[in-house]
Formats: sequence, structure tokens, C-alpha cells
Amino acid sequence: MEILRSIYEVAWFILLIAAGVAALVGYLYTHFRYYDRGWFAGVALAGYPVLALAGLRAAGLQLPSAAAWLFFASALIYVFFRYAVKGRHTVPYLLLAPAFVGLALLLVYPFVFEVYLSFHDLKLTTIMGWKNTGYLPFVGLEQYVKVFTTSPLSEVSFWALLGRTLLWTFSNVFFHVVGGFALALLLNNAIRFKGAYRTLLVIPWAMPQVVAVLAMRGEFHSQNGFVNIFINKLLAVFPFLASLGVAPVQWLSDYPLLTCTIINVWLGIPFMMVVILGGLQSISSSYYDAADIDGASYLQKLRFITLPLIKPVLMPAVTLGTVWTFNNINVIYLVTGQSGGTEQADILVSALYKAAFTYNRYSYSAAFAIVVFALLFFISVTYLHGFDAAKEER
Amino acid sequence: MTEKEAILRKKQLRYLLIHAAVIAAAVVCVYPLLRIFSVSLRPGDKLFSTDLSLIPDGATLSAYASLLKDTMFLRWLWNSLLITLATSFIGVSLASTAAYAFSRFRFPGKKAGLILLLSSQMIPAGMLILPLFLMIMKLKLMNTYLGMIIAYSVSSLPFSIWILKGYYDTIPRSLEEAALVDGTSQVGAFWRIILPLSTPALSIAFLFNFTTAWNEYLVARVVLFSSSQYTWTLGLFELQGQYITQWGMFAAGSMLVTIPVLAVFLYSSKWLISGLTLGSVKG
Repeated sequence: MEILRSIYEVAWFILLIAAGVAALVGYLYTHFRYYDRGWFAGVALAGYPVLALAGLRAAGLQLPSAAAWLFFASALIYVFFRYAVKGRHTVPYLLLAPAFVGLALLLVYPFVFEVYLSFHDLKLTTIMGWKNTGYLPFVGLEQYVKVFTTSPLSEVSFWALLGRTLLWTFSNVFFHVVGGFALALLLNNAIRFKGAYRTLLVIPWAMPQVVAVLAMRGEFHSQNGFVNIFINKLLAVFPFLASLGVAPVQWLSDYPLLTCTIINVWLGIPFMMVVILGGLQSISSSYYDAADIDGASYLQKLRFITLPLIKPVLMPAVTLGTVWTFNNINVIYLVTGQSGGTEQADILVSALYKAAFTYNRYSYSAAFAIVVFALLFFISVTYLHGFDAAKEER
Repeated sequence: MTEKEAILRKKQLRYLLIHAAVIAAAVVCVYPLLRIFSVSLRPGDKLFSTDLSLIPDGATLSAYASLLKDTMFLRWLWNSLLITLATSFIGVSLASTAAYAFSRFRFPGKKAGLILLLSSQMIPAGMLILPLFLMIMKLKLMNTYLGMIIAYSVSSLPFSIWILKGYYDTIPRSLEEAALVDGTSQVGAFWRIILPLSTPALSIAFLFNFTTAWNEYLVARVVLFSSSQYTWTLGLFELQGQYITQWGMFAAGSMLVTIPVLAVFLYSSKWLISGLTLGSVKG
């Protein structure tokens, strides 16, 4: 039976991809008629509407009304391109349409839907009603008030989360850049086995993140993890360390945020290293030769040649890294997300995820998400503004 | 000792220090992976020994055997593969035409579209999971492949469009112009000339889509709930989380998943990184 099921799945899957290809080819053909082979017309006529109808059918419409909707939508598209978009702009718009329809349905619409949710009251007690009838009670700004007055989880407050997020983002990005810079400077020397070193150093980035984080989580376990085993062995060799306060620690329960930070620093350094190394290698050696003639020290060269020249590479990477770190749910959720997990390490986005899916406060977390988005938007705009100003100064 | 020898000695010392530092960093980077490997080889009764040796005493492959026999690991890999291939296909085909429009045409709204693409990267990923989850629930696609494919399909689209646009920009226009003179349409030129020429960029975009979906965890957690539908990320989380006694199986599964991913990443990293910088520099 299992084999039959697998065969059925493969067949289904191949069919799905074939239908997708047919739809794309058909889409291009029906609009451009660029291909001179007759059978494409058949594919076009078959694949495109079949897939569209299947999609509408999946959306819960009955076949007649799905067909009516499809006809209506096609007519609308036809009229739009025939009369509103005339002439030479038709081609790019048609080329863009599939991607932008996808983005509109799966990026823009969810965003708008989230705003809608945040003004209503969707929670575990109202979700069945919403599922069956589509009705949701309107509550105005109540959810937004709640975001600032009640805890998203069980005890931690919004402001504590905010502070923790800023601390988390800053410390992570700081160590990523410093660590990445140090490694890149080391690797930028003419040394042997450079390629091999580079390969080994990018392994944390290359490993699937879920595996890396879960494995590291195991290594911070108080008895079986190598961190504590290592500390114990160290103490056995150097007993005087114990008087300095070095001792095995309950990492996951006592210092969850620190543990997450260590794991994320370990994960993030290779990316920065690779980006910075790329920048370092593009700096012409003639600058350093000139500085050598002038008798500049190593630190002076670093300060006055390397840093200014690396800045155009570093700034986008730091911006990207900041956004990624701010939005990093994965590390924190995988380390603390199991039942009975702590909330001592949660930052804004991971609390957002837990509020929605562990505590089932849907509307609350929608309002929370809008607040977090506004915050991130504000930070990036000020940041980019400052970046532009700095650019103009130069 | 002459002055020259002293300088040489100093230089050698410097190189020695550099090598030592780099090797230390490499050990920190690689050691956790070696530990997973070592744990995966441990016999069942010594799972929690504090032994730090790479190949444990009485190393066996029993964890691998029981992983394949007693859990649905192969099934999880299969689920992941189906979902991931389908999303990558959709993502790359949508991106290839959109990137062409952005690369070769001037039209009202072009700049706005590009800015929209960039700013969509600013939206916290965690923010869209809730509405997507509710949409999938409303469409009755919970716990299905199709639901997952829909949820994943556009997540890497902006980045793919960006990479492909950067690559199309480097293909000289004269190639298409020649084809146009020979009587094909603009889209025909795209189909017959630009697409075949940009195979490297298409494969980078495909790879990027593939790894993103392959390693995804948070959406899968909320959409899939029966263990026969799990992707491997959910399966491994379950193995590592619920029962600590399954640590060996978790390690074995991690090894099986990580090795192909590492191989592909290391093989393709050169292009992947150049793709990353291409996107950011051209801004």
C-alpha cells in the first residue's frame, strides 16, 4: 500500500509541475503568440484555465461560480490591457503580472489582512465562528492598548521585550562584525591552506540552520553537552580556576539569552567573514605600499586605509545583518520553544510567534506584529537617512 | 644573527601565529559537527557518556538503522523534497519573466516596483506567518503539501528577481537585437536567447529557493500536524525535543541531512556569494 501511495504521489507531483509549466508556457503563448509550433496552442488552451479553475476550486468556490469568476477576471485583464495599457508597455506588464499577482496574494494581501485582524477579535473562542460564517467582532484599538499593557506571553512585558531585542540585536551584530573582521584579516594574509581554512570556517553558515541550532542546544545541556564537559575537564587540569568562579552552568535554564546569543554569534560570523574578505581582496595593494613608504604602522593602515575602503561593502552587510538578527525567530524558538520552555530569552519577534501559536491570541499578535513592523520601519528609515547624510558629507 | 635573519625569524613567527589563530577558529566552527558525528556512532547504552573522543568505543551504525527503521525519517525527507522542488520551480519561473521585464524595459512604475521588492525584505517574516496560516486554514489546505507550497512559493521571489535582473543586465543587448532583426518577438528572444544564456543565474536562484524552503521550520510547524506529513525539520525537532533518549537518532538524522547540504553549499558557494554581492552592489 505504501508503495502504491508513493507512486500516486510521484505521479501527482509530476502532473503538478507539468501543469505549472503548461500554465506558464500557455500564459506566454496566449498573450504573445511568439512560438511557431501548433501544439503550444493546445497546451495553452488546456493548461492555463485548468490550473486557474483548480486554484479557484481549492479556494472553496463551486465549479460554475469558479468558471464565472475566471471569465470575469480574464475579461477584466483583457479590457485592462486592451484599453488602459496600450502600446509598448503591454509586454513588460504582462511579463511582470504572474510574479506580482503572486506577491499581491501572498505578501500584500496577508499584510492587509493582518491590519484587519488587529482591529478585530480573533482568538480561540471566536475562531470556529469565523471559520464557518466569516464573522468577527470589531474591537477598535483595544488590541493595540493590550499590546502595551498586558504581557504577550505569561509574564514578560512589551517594554522588557523591546529592551531585550535591542540588546540582542546590538550584541549579535557587534560580535558578528568584530569576529568576521578578525577572521577576514587573518585569512587575507598570504598563507598556505587558505582555501581549506575558508571552507572549514564557513561550515556553521553552510549547515542547515535547524540542525546547527538543535545540535548546539544539545551541547549546552547541563550534563550531556560538551560545553559543561569541557569546563569540568578544564577544572580537573587547572583546579585554581574554581576559585575564580569557573563552574559548570545550567545554560538553558539559567542563562537562556546568553546561550542563544552564543549560538547565534557562532552561526553568523561566517557570513560577515565572507563578505568582508571579499571587500578586503578588492583593495589594491598599492595603497598599503604607499603607506609603508610613509612609515605607517599596522594600526594606522587599518584605520586610514582598510576601514574607509571596506565601508561600502560593510554597510549593506551590517544593515542586512541587523534586520536579520532583529527578525531572528529560529534560534530563539528552537532553543526555548518546546513545552515548558523559558520566556527569559524571548525577543519581540519570537514572542510574536509564541503569542500567536502557543497562546492562540491571533488578533492580539496581529496588533503586536503591526507595532513591531512600525518599529522596524522607523529604525530602518532613520538609519538609512543617516546613511544617506553620511554619504553626502563625503 | 644578522639583521636579515632577524626579520625572517619575525616573519616566520607571525605566520605561525596566524596559522594558530585560524586553526583555533576552524576548530570552533567544525567541532559541533564532529560531535554530532561522534554521537551518531555511539551504541545505545553509552549515549550520555562524557567521552569526548571522535570515534567512540564500540562505534556502531545502529542509530542510523533504527532511524530508518523505527521512524518515518525517509518519509519526512520525501515530503521535504516534494514541497521544496515544487516551490523552487514556481519561484524561479515567476522570477525569470519578472526580472526580464525589470532588466530590459522602461515602463511607468518600474522604480516603484523595484522599491516594493526591496522593502518587502523589511517585513518581519514572523509577521506574515499568522495571516498565511489563517488563509491556508480557510482554504482547507492545512496539513497538505499544497498548503505548504502556497505558503513558501513567493518567500524567495524578491531575492530571485534581484539576482536574475543583475545577471540579465550583464548580457549584451545586441544578442537580442540580432534575434529581433531575424524576425522573432521580444518574448521569443527572451525564451530562446536570454533564458538559455542565463542558466548559471537560474541555477543560483533555484538553489537559493531550494535551500530556503528546505531548511524552513516555522511555517511548517503551524501548517503540518500529522507526523506522516512532517518535513525533516519538524521530524528532527521532535526527535531532539520530546525524548532525550533519541539523541542518537537525532544525531544520525542530522548527519544524513547535513552532508548533502554541505556538499552542495561548498560546491556552489562561489557563485552564491558573487550573486549576493551582485545584488547588493548594483543596488
